[in-house]
Amino acid sequence: MQPEQRQPHAIGDIALHPHWQSHDHLIHWLVYNAEHHGHEVALRERRRGIWQGYTWRQYLDEVLALAAGLEALGVEPGDRVLVIGDNRPALYFGMLAAIALRALPSPAYPDTPPEELRGQLEAESIRCALVEDQEQVDKLLTIRVAGYGALDHILYDDPRGLEQAPPPGARAIAALSAQGRARFSAEPGLRAALQERTSVHAPAVLLHSSGTTGRPKGIPLKHGHIIAAVRNASRAGYFREGEVHMAYLPMAWVGDFIFSVGAAILLRFCVHIPEQQETALHDLREIAPTLYFGSPRAWSSMLTRIQVGIKESSPLKRALYAHFMPFAERLERDRLEGRRPAPWRRLWRGVGEVLMFGPLKDQLGLRRVARPYTAGDAMGEDVFLFFRALGLDLRQFYGQTENCALCVAQDPGSVSLHTAGRPFPGVELRISDEGEILMRADNVFDGYFDNPEATAETLRAGWMHTGDAGQLEADGQLVVLGRLSEVVYTNTGERFIPTYIENRLKFSDYIREACVLGRERDFLAALVVIDSEAVGHWAQINGVPYTSFADLSQKPEVYALVRAEVARVNALLPPALAIRSFVNLHKAFDPDDGEVTRTRKLRRDVIDAHYAPIIESLYAGRDSIEYEARIGYETGASGTLKRHLAIARVNADRIAEEA
Amino acid sequence: MFYRQSGIHHTRYAATRKLWPLAADRRLLGGLLALALLAPLLLPELYLNSYLAPWLIWTAAALSLTLLMGIAGQLHFGFAAVMAIGAYTSIHLARAGVPFELALIGAGLAAALIGCVFGAAALRVKGLYLVMATLAMQYLVSWVIINVPVISGGAQATLATPEVRLLFIPLDGDTALYYTALGWTLICTLLLLNIKRSSVGRALVAVRDKDFAAAVIGVDPLRYKLLAFFTSSFLGGVSGAILAFCYYQAVTPEQFGFNVSIQLVAMVLVGGLGSVIGAYLGAGFILLLPIVLTNLLAWVAGLELFPVSFNLIAHIPLMVYGALIIAVILFEPLGLAKIYDNIRKYFLVWPFRHAQR
Repeated sequence: MQPEQRQPHAIGDIALHPHWQSHDHLIHWLVYNAEHHGHEVALRERRRGIWQGYTWRQYLDEVLALAAGLEALGVEPGDRVLVIGDNRPALYFGMLAAIALRALPSPAYPDTPPEELRGQLEAESIRCALVEDQEQVDKLLTIRVAGYGALDHILYDDPRGLEQAPPPGARAIAALSAQGRARFSAEPGLRAALQERTSVHAPAVLLHSSGTTGRPKGIPLKHGHIIAAVRNASRAGYFREGEVHMAYLPMAWVGDFIFSVGAAILLRFCVHIPEQQETALHDLREIAPTLYFGSPRAWSSMLTRIQVGIKESSPLKRALYAHFMPFAERLERDRLEGRRPAPWRRLWRGVGEVLMFGPLKDQLGLRRVARPYTAGDAMGEDVFLFFRALGLDLRQFYGQTENCALCVAQDPGSVSLHTAGRPFPGVELRISDEGEILMRADNVFDGYFDNPEATAETLRAGWMHTGDAGQLEADGQLVVLGRLSEVVYTNTGERFIPTYIENRLKFSDYIREACVLGRERDFLAALVVIDSEAVGHWAQINGVPYTSFADLSQKPEVYALVRAEVARVNALLPPALAIRSFVNLHKAFDPDDGEVTRTRKLRRDVIDAHYAPIIESLYAGRDSIEYEARIGYETGASGTLKRHLAIARVNADRIAEEA
Repeated sequence: MFYRQSGIHHTRYAATRKLWPLAADRRLLGGLLALALLAPLLLPELYLNSYLAPWLIWTAAALSLTLLMGIAGQLHFGFAAVMAIGAYTSIHLARAGVPFELALIGAGLAAALIGCVFGAAALRVKGLYLVMATLAMQYLVSWVIINVPVISGGAQATLATPEVRLLFIPLDGDTALYYTALGWTLICTLLLLNIKRSSVGRALVAVRDKDFAAAVIGVDPLRYKLLAFFTSSFLGGVSGAILAFCYYQAVTPEQFGFNVSIQLVAMVLVGGLGSVIGAYLGAGFILLLPIVLTNLLAWVAGLELFPVSFNLIAHIPLMVYGALIIAVILFEPLGLAKIYDNIRKYFLVWPFRHAQR
């Protein structure tokens, strides 16, 4: 598209969704909340130990003042505004201020390295950025020095380290909203005008695909899409009005925008922002939300935390846990399989609720959670069962950024382990002849940003092609099998989806990440990253001395431990797909090295390139390898580090016999 | 298991100093308070006026002393003398026709003033030397009371308390006396709890931990030591008056002897230095345990399983009691309050062993 064509408010847009009411947009509902619920707390942030709140009226005031300030800076309708940093009220206000001006907030993950961020700035020709603190300002300055001169304005929330001598073009967000307030007293009518400027057809936010393959694609979502998604979900009972919500997930992720901005405004959530990412779990306990979303990884690390805590607990507590947890898991399994438990078992579960489940939920801060959700990845059966046994009605979502992440979810009556649930009311779902999941709904986007080829590929005849392989059960439940593009064949012609096996491996406490190899090879092998907390605790208990993560990963005892876990997974797989050798990596996969995306999905091509020597020796049948690890330092310099990595074989005896 | 900590968050700094943030603690306290208020209906007279009332009054005395010894760190081995001053002052004032409310305040002030005179020694001396200075107070006050007939009413005399009214209600009958004792103990409890969470309390603790270090950070040790002596002696004096009016209903010098001072110190130590709940537990332990032990032994002797001499019945409780004090101090040097705290924490972190990150 050419710049002059980039007006987001062209007539064609309205024709796309003729039934949308033009006033039905986020700013309208924000104004509604400020008028009708002005004194209710909309947003709380933990600052120096205290939860400082903003009412809906203050929320609107901040948004409008900032909008007036941004307009004075020259932010035009259709402009993209970068938003980068951890969750902060000022950044949420800034996003909505941009939205009020019909500009497009384009959030980025706070740990995005400069090169990647530059790509986003250039692709979207961004001139104005809202950032959290001095760290992000420095990052943007680096990009500016490196040649991206178009970045005129950097607006920061936290003035620490910037007050004395702000770099050129950098200003505090507070100063900007003060300027905006000054405009209100000078220009009567501006305040009211700002509330009316946007429309349901205007894009509200520019999110990005995770980029497992290639460059991230920009995904503009309109007010109407977001509102449709939230209404569908709330009609199906997945959100209630006035939920207590924790905004701790990255702002660049679609879920955070939908939950903490979209649903929060439409359904008047009280949004809570933790003090820091590191204190999120502690702050979660202080808030005890009623709605909680965690990635499968977050749930599983919560489970690990409980298990480690119980292992070091006193004998009585350990014994009670060892009795009640398996009991409740058996009970829950029966329930999922449709059997009604006997009255005495329900009674005994009530005793367990007092002795174990209630206190555990209280320790995690999940005591009041009525709607716990997960999405984004496969969840381990044991994790799923554990939290359901605890009495949390944990359910899975299925969706993509392209459809506001709210499409399919398990309803309370029919939760099962392998299905993703039924589509929301208002969402049409179909399986194509190739087995691909297709979707049509008001919350499905209207096309990628500046990328007509990708749009044409994804949106065909009104149907969105998700790229996921799936099937529909007889009762309308969707089963998601994996990415269509991820199906891989070995040399012997065996067909498998690596993610599927990797998830099974990751269900072990001791394995944090895994990468299964085998494409065009004779057999499967795996790169394993151990879980430092669980394995560290195990080493402590079993008297295995170690110094660092790298050292721990190479201990023969740890290899034996991981081998047992791999063998367990092998037992579940057809013999031809057994993992025959693996190596414990000396470090975790790191998004800074490009090995995983920010949402921690593996980038297989990068991993293949980084660990090529290791992978070769896995298949060459060697016992160990000297590996020169490339290390990227935070300063940008890089060095090499020599590592001696052992290679382990699994079920060698059985395989030898077969041979 | 009983404690629910999730969902407790503060929106103002003032709220973080809330006394009982946990609902479970509030429920427990509410229950205990209801029991204490209903006690005249629930308990027979004997238990009310010979167990519960003295326990409460001695708790008030122990609270007064723990303010000085536990929070401000100034040892005091003559606290019975402070109470004696309060008791005698209030009786003489009440006899002279001063309203009881004012007599109580007078008792507190007299005790506080004389207590401060001896407490002034604390500005110069510390530790064992302060013990000696306060012991001197014990003996001096005792001697003066016995040997000045105007105060004691003559050698070997017993002064009966006159009939008084408190807030227009005549103090006669067990119920009125009990509620007076309960009221005073609750006042002392709330006062101490609030001192502990205020800047005064933190200044006193700073003086306790190292007085010249406190001076360095701007806490005047002289002022705070005197303040501690004054406040503690005031509370001790009123407690002495309440003890005389609500329990003994007569005073003799022997009621406030040296052994009483030692018992008070024992209550504070066994209960836990500086702890409010410890004062309750310590007073209960020192006061009621001997009675319980004697009753138990009398019951065992009554079974006539084996012959027990009267001598033995008299001595065994004392020996067991001594052994128990040693056991408590050995097992948990921080006293019964710490034992309670340990039990509470066991349930607080349930089902883990320690607090999670």
